[in-house]
Amino acid sequence: MNTRPLTPLLALILLVALVVTLFPIFWIVMTALKPPTDWNAAPAIWIPSEPTLINFLTLFDPEAIGAFGVGGISESATAAVFGSILTSTCATLISVGIGFFAAIGLSRYTRVNRFTPLFILSGRMFPPAAIAVPFVIIFSAIQLIDTYVGLIAIYVAITLPFATWMLKSFVDEVPREVEEAAMIDGQSRLMAHLTVTAPLIKGGLFATTLFIFILNWSEFLFALVLSYSNIETIPIRLAKYVTATAGTLFGVQAALAVLAMAPLIVAGFLIQKHLARGMTFGAVKR
Amino acid sequence: MPQEIAISDLKGTRLGVPAADRTSAPSPTGAQRAARKRARFARGLAAPGMVISVFVLVVPLLVALAMSFTTWSPTRGSLLDAGFEGLFNYEELLVYDTRFVEAVARTLTLSVICLSLELAIGLGLAVIFLREFKGKSVLFSTLLTPMMVMPVVVGYTFWMLFQSNGPINQISMILFGTAPEWFRSAFFAWIVVIVTEVWHWTPLFFLIMLSGLNSLPENPIRAAVILGASPRQVFWRVVLPMLKPVIIVALVIRAMEIVKLFDEVFILTRGGPSTSTETISLYIYKLAFQDFQLAYGAAAAFLVLIGTLLMVHFLLAPVRDQLLGEPR
Repeated sequence: MNTRPLTPLLALILLVALVVTLFPIFWIVMTALKPPTDWNAAPAIWIPSEPTLINFLTLFDPEAIGAFGVGGISESATAAVFGSILTSTCATLISVGIGFFAAIGLSRYTRVNRFTPLFILSGRMFPPAAIAVPFVIIFSAIQLIDTYVGLIAIYVAITLPFATWMLKSFVDEVPREVEEAAMIDGQSRLMAHLTVTAPLIKGGLFATTLFIFILNWSEFLFALVLSYSNIETIPIRLAKYVTATAGTLFGVQAALAVLAMAPLIVAGFLIQKHLARGMTFGAVKR
Repeated sequence: MPQEIAISDLKGTRLGVPAADRTSAPSPTGAQRAARKRARFARGLAAPGMVISVFVLVVPLLVALAMSFTTWSPTRGSLLDAGFEGLFNYEELLVYDTRFVEAVARTLTLSVICLSLELAIGLGLAVIFLREFKGKSVLFSTLLTPMMVMPVVVGYTFWMLFQSNGPINQISMILFGTAPEWFRSAFFAWIVVIVTEVWHWTPLFFLIMLSGLNSLPENPIRAAVILGASPRQVFWRVVLPMLKPVIIVALVIRAMEIVKLFDEVFILTRGGPSTSTETISLYIYKLAFQDFQLAYGAAAAFLVLIGTLLMVHFLLAPVRDQLLGEPR
């Protein structure tokens, strides 16, 4: 289309958009660096007088903040960080692995009828608050409640549609003649897909993995209702900090929030070319 | 897209079998065997996903559906002994439960407000991004940041920003000499929820709209320009109609997400003050996990599911072919 330069008005709009986008992130990072005296100061302090990492230390050693004469947090966030890494990593790898085969099946061997997308999407339409109800009952009965295995199983199930459709859109772009050539050379179907198709969509597999990781790492509701005392993830810990301390430990809460979003922002930047595809189940390609 | 394969699987005719199979299957019986093998392989590929979907989505959904016809709650013994109450819960919800109806209305209102703002701002920014300027790619990445932040953290961050001692009130005091207690009044709590949602998800619209604009065919636009259309006319009469499928896909996906909106509101307001910011997901959560009315909550969820399915089905109708990846 037309490639005209920016007018001053448009440049101003972009500047406003930039400031609005970054301000909340700036604020939470600054709060994470504030010593306790700056946390709830009036008027609010924008840039900490003496930046400190004490809030991050306190997350793993609840007593550390005592050096500032403030009562520590009741529990450390170590278990939550471990839980988040464990569940997100396992669930992501399983989901992408299964999704890859499903994507090959959908792209190469199945006729997609007009109700297929609706069927796949319907799993995403049901309010999680409600699908969580039968999960709690079933998982209680088979002793999977409050276990990482149970949480991972659910994460695989809820991210599988995303993984499948995102990968399908990548497989669709590989000409089937390449696989067929390998099959004529005597490779089995399975080997042809693993040794020919998979390497050709390497970038797609990487993007899908990070995208599914973002979804798993962010999940809150299922972790909330399916964990009692044995398991914990970062979002759950953050919610607990906010309730338990009634909002007085701003710095420590903000430190956990920064820790929670940092990996996602990095992952997001790495796959930004493919974000639209992931978010729209492959409907928007570029 | 897969074309003739499904039919050839059924008939087992040699003609429909792709080249790879033809070479390895010289006789008709060989072709049949190859087709059968192929079908078995296809089933094998789909099996793990199917098994997971059935056990982790279909079974719980059926349990929830069965439960929604009872008045069972965990304090009343086993679910298996619960009596069938027909549509009792559904009647309660639709006829007597004003809190449910209000939560639905509130969620719909929120969708309309948020989606309009997100679409307008996202599309506007995307149009600006059609121009060339310095630092475009850096700015593009930066503007996408909010959608990568997890919802709980977004909720927490805006909760911080709107504290009475927070920066928003500080700015408000300087500009207007007064600042509200954001979470104490229904009206202001609503504004916080809307601002949070719009900040979080406008980048998605921006991203999808820009993808859409960049992949539009150039010829109709050139033709319109040559025929003397003003830039405004080109945008409203040519570009926007061509962008319609992309806009609908974005709206459908976001509408589905807003129906499920839970995390941010849970952290920001917990539905308060009173029930004034209670979304449908939050209400169902409270029914099931605070009041332990599991059966009633399941019924509410099914009503929401049916409503969402209908909405999505009709919204997607004009663009279904494109979603399926078939040439239009």
